[in-house]
Amino acid sequence: MGRAVAVIGTGQTRHGRRNDVSYPDLVREAVRMALEDAGITPKDIEGVVSGTMPSMMEGISDTHLYFAEALCEVGKPVLKVESCGSTGQSIAHCGFYWVASGMADLVLVVGMEKMFEGDGQATMSTVADPWFLKPFSAGAPGVFTMQAMEWMHRFNIPEDKAHEAAAFISVTHHDSALDNPYAHIKIKIGMDEAKNAPIITYPVRLLDVCPTSDGACAVILASEEMAKKIGRKPAWIRGLGFRGEEFFYGESNKSIWPSATEAAKHAYEQAGIRDPLKELDVAEIYNPFTYQEMIFYECFGFCPRGKAPDYVLEGKFNRTGELPCDPSGGVLCTNPIGASGLIRLAEATLQVTGKAGARQIEGAELALSHAMGGIDQFNGVTIVGAKL
Amino acid sequence: MRKVAITRFAQSAGVESGDNLMDFTYRISKEVLDKAGLKRNEVGCVMIASSDIFHSGLSCANAVDWDGSGAFMIEGTRAEDSMFALIYAAMRILSGHFDTVLVTSIIKGSENPDNDTLTGFFADPFYMRPLGINETTAAAFQMREYMQRFGVSEEQCAKVAVKNLGNALFNPYAHMKKRVTVDDVLNSETVSDPLKALECAPKSEGVASVLLASGDAAERFTDKPVWIKGFGTSMDHFNLGDRDLLNGQLTVAAERAYRMAGIRQPRKEIDLAEICEPYAFQELLWCEKLGFCPDGEGGKLIDSGETQMYRAFPVNPSGGVLAMNPYVSRGLYRVIEAAMQIRGRAGEHQVDKKVRTALAHGTHGFAGQCHSVVILEG
Amino acid sequence: MADEKPKEKPREMKAQVTVPYEMAMGRNWHRFFENLKEERIMGTKCGKCSRVFIPPRSFCPRCFEDNEEWVEIGQEGTIETWCYSNLMFYGQTLKPPFIAVQVHLDGTDVGLQHRIAGFDLSDFEKVRELVKSGGRVRVVWNKEKKGNIFDIDYFELIPE
Repeated sequence: MGRAVAVIGTGQTRHGRRNDVSYPDLVREAVRMALEDAGITPKDIEGVVSGTMPSMMEGISDTHLYFAEALCEVGKPVLKVESCGSTGQSIAHCGFYWVASGMADLVLVVGMEKMFEGDGQATMSTVADPWFLKPFSAGAPGVFTMQAMEWMHRFNIPEDKAHEAAAFISVTHHDSALDNPYAHIKIKIGMDEAKNAPIITYPVRLLDVCPTSDGACAVILASEEMAKKIGRKPAWIRGLGFRGEEFFYGESNKSIWPSATEAAKHAYEQAGIRDPLKELDVAEIYNPFTYQEMIFYECFGFCPRGKAPDYVLEGKFNRTGELPCDPSGGVLCTNPIGASGLIRLAEATLQVTGKAGARQIEGAELALSHAMGGIDQFNGVTIVGAKL
Repeated sequence: MRKVAITRFAQSAGVESGDNLMDFTYRISKEVLDKAGLKRNEVGCVMIASSDIFHSGLSCANAVDWDGSGAFMIEGTRAEDSMFALIYAAMRILSGHFDTVLVTSIIKGSENPDNDTLTGFFADPFYMRPLGINETTAAAFQMREYMQRFGVSEEQCAKVAVKNLGNALFNPYAHMKKRVTVDDVLNSETVSDPLKALECAPKSEGVASVLLASGDAAERFTDKPVWIKGFGTSMDHFNLGDRDLLNGQLTVAAERAYRMAGIRQPRKEIDLAEICEPYAFQELLWCEKLGFCPDGEGGKLIDSGETQMYRAFPVNPSGGVLAMNPYVSRGLYRVIEAAMQIRGRAGEHQVDKKVRTALAHGTHGFAGQCHSVVILEG
Repeated sequence: MADEKPKEKPREMKAQVTVPYEMAMGRNWHRFFENLKEERIMGTKCGKCSRVFIPPRSFCPRCFEDNEEWVEIGQEGTIETWCYSNLMFYGQTLKPPFIAVQVHLDGTDVGLQHRIAGFDLSDFEKVRELVKSGGRVRVVWNKEKKGNIFDIDYFELIPE
């Protein structure tokens, strides 16, 4: 069904506080790297998709207009697609369908955010409606804390065990980020430090929480014919899915998170994956919070419901474990929101094409990438493989 | 290649609605599904078009738009412009992965500040924004250049407003409708010289929804499918100073759509056009760029009367964007109006001639930075 | 670019964006807030799946049918989840520390966001002993009614 689509190039900026460059120049940095990686020129691009998180973040509306030159859009067909934190996956999906439809052979997909230019939490709290949700907004950490508390309560997970597992994820991800040249937060931490970090919204502590980052990511998608013509080692898109729940947070059960579960299930069906823990070689999960990452492990079928802390503490999701998760350090160490979901796809691509450098998982051939958005409302998944 | 049909559609009127955003969205999406006899959970994909915070007051508008669009646990996403949404939806069907896509575009102008308060946020923070450049001032630059370079007169531009606001009298969904004369237009308040108040589009409400289906699936929902034969978009430079304001990217966007639809002589092969003209003169300029008349002869085209509702080549029989300007949705409104004309069911503003092929156009950004063109056929 | 290592660090420009909106509540939320003034909590019920919504939705997002029926909802409920917030950011309505809560009010099928208060919140360890998921809470009405969500001043804990 449809044409096959490959990722043939990726580029990401050095993420962090990037007040050394303007917003368009930051975008251009990622685009240029992706073009170089794919070995193509702006002239070759047949379509451009871009997206950010809320435009209030940087105070500029419809940024595809502002970034016309940086995105190599001039004279080209363009689309602008956004879905909150899951934007990175949504724009990748748009690029996929664009190529799959036969309307283009080479599409540039770019996500970006410059969070240091605005107030991240103030911006994100405007996703909430002004009557019911916003008055009680405790920012993103508040939402994720509520979700973590619901999950622990539902599955009778002792707080100490969850706390230990969260700290373990924090330590291993921060370690991984040291091997990622693009990562924002690069610190060596120990279990004690993670466990005793200052509380933000109990039980979430400072080292359980992602940073705010400036950064951009670009990927280049190609049809099978074009990928073969260009001749770089591609990552084939094997499956994808996107689901969203209702707007009001209290309306669906976030401890079993239907949108995350179904988005992955849909992608698995396309990719023919039955036992993700065994079949996937690596997963790049959108994990702004350590506790939430454990809920994703369960939704994605990596372990039974309520058992993620046990699996984590057994080291199953370490870089040396059965299914390494976020060997890039993940969103926990780097979070330019509009780019974050696309960075997951770029990292998954690097893994299955053997280009992930010091963070390479040996022999990785099948990888999951993911992003989530809204007030725990949306989840998108893309699976890439070394083989078509 | 698969075929993509517009099967059913619905639109809201432009006047202020007391509904909240969620209910407003639901009402129109539901109307389309009911007309099609399709259950919400049978929809293959939902495509929302809405603007991020500036045009809604809520960031990541897909979050609040999701429920009313019928997207609960369905494949879907949101585009920043309704033409983008329609084109992306069509590509999802062309890909073979989906048989139906419900496209819903949402904006509640009555909740928003002035259009130009919002279009001002398209501007970069360093150069254009401090100078107060917005969509209207950019259009004023463009209009002056148009008049100077081609000798198009203020009267000719004003005639567009006379025609479109008059056409709107017959369109129950239009927001602004009145019988005005060229003098009325020229004597209306100067907004941004040379633009007059009656030459600038209002700020309207507008939820519009369209059910697209693949060729095979379409007959389940309608006996009068309207086919999407071609589409194209193109982007111009950002800075006004980098551009030729009279020779932008509309020609390129149109060429893409024409090539896909197999159109060689647009003026002959297209029966009717719904054009996005937030400023009166733009209808003339866009007609040139779409190949309906030679460059610089947009003024002659309106003088000829040919673009009147009951003449040979009707342009904006709905009243166009001058009569109804729900910013994000305005492109999709053009599509729906064109589809209604093709189906012969436009009611009081149905044109006299048989409409087989129609063009719908959308634009956003300063002085037409980004254009979209869609070709429809009965 | 010629200037590879600029001596001066590029400056940042201070800017503030303020945009006014007038957001319609619609009939159902208007009615909800008018009822709060009378110390009644009203929800809507889906005629198809029978779920009761609060905030009252005019339609069921799953069944996609109009919710015609209004029902009065209990003023006590169960804590589904909660969050002790110490995080401060621009534009926040409540000043930290506060306890955001999702309450499952008796007779509803969805959770409502509000806050728990009525006791000293300064010491988190004490808060943690008092507030438990699964615990019971009840509405405390604001004496001054403004027709907004703070007509419910807060939820108080019902001792076990």
